[in-house]
Amino acid sequence: MKTAIPSSNVKVGHELPEFALPVTSTVIVAGAIASRDFMPAHHDPEYARGQGAPDIFMNILTTNGYVARYVTDWAGSEAMIRTIRIRLGGPAVPGQLLRFTGQVTAVGEEADERVIEVTLRAVNDLGEHATGTVVVTLPLT
Amino acid sequence: MTETEMDELRERLEKYVGKPMGAAAVAPDPVNLPMIRHWVAALDDQNPVYLDQEAAAGSRFGGIVAPPAMLQAWTMPSPKIEGIAERGGAPRESRGENPISILDEAGYVGTLATNSELEFLRYLRPGDHLHTTMELESISSRKNTSLGQGYFITWVTNYFAGDEEIVGKQLFRILKFDPSSIDPSSLKGSG
Repeated sequence: MKTAIPSSNVKVGHELPEFALPVTSTVIVAGAIASRDFMPAHHDPEYARGQGAPDIFMNILTTNGYVARYVTDWAGSEAMIRTIRIRLGGPAVPGQLLRFTGQVTAVGEEADERVIEVTLRAVNDLGEHATGTVVVTLPLT
Repeated sequence: MTETEMDELRERLEKYVGKPMGAAAVAPDPVNLPMIRHWVAALDDQNPVYLDQEAAAGSRFGGIVAPPAMLQAWTMPSPKIEGIAERGGAPRESRGENPISILDEAGYVGTLATNSELEFLRYLRPGDHLHTTMELESISSRKNTSLGQGYFITWVTNYFAGDEEIVGKQLFRILKFDPSSIDPSSLKGSG
């Protein structure tokens, strides 16, 4: 994984490959604990249901982590993320696929960098889990 | 609850707008490889600049960097596990009155995160020691939402490395709602 895409080829409208994450209890708990988030709603099903949720659900740090990973899996290891702006919708719960789709919605140049805006959404059976934009830069090659 | 009481509630919250929210938080540990390794494993992120010294040295970063979305993780308070459910998931006992506790007491006990906006001014490296300041940016007027009536609360966290180098920011918005007010027509008779 170096640069998955030559930055000069990035055009508005370019679709990122879809990524489907099989969300399990382990995925949710691993992400919560790795981000030092010990809220019971992210590991204790009984507690989560008591709060009106269908099951334990993914914490926001993990969602942001997967959003970042979705973009850098495509843009490569030379990519530097500047912003992650998301609107949060329904919960990401065990037993459902979380499908990430995105496309390039703006491309610019600044000094020695190409600046790329990706507009993306992560959707499961309950609807939109997260929608928003990630701005990422790549060195001009 | 009547309209007048609602206005009073919002007025009571006004003094918090534009003010710091809680004390500055200091990361318990500097940015470090073991926590990066946990994160990379948990999210199965194969980007080599997070763990592969050689690949990272040859990249634009010139060395290992932390995954940017870990920003919040570095300054998360160390939890007291006993009683965490009874505290609604708060890692520690909260001290004193704040807008969220005021809304909880007024019946707006539901919490829904609606927006997160992260900005990274630079990537973090092992050894960076973070601290944060939080400011309450705004509180909306009372809104009718599909979850009931509530207030949107927005705060901004600034992340600093060392003494005063700002390295990141997060805007965070939640809805504090009253689940019992979900049917607006039921309120007409009570005011």
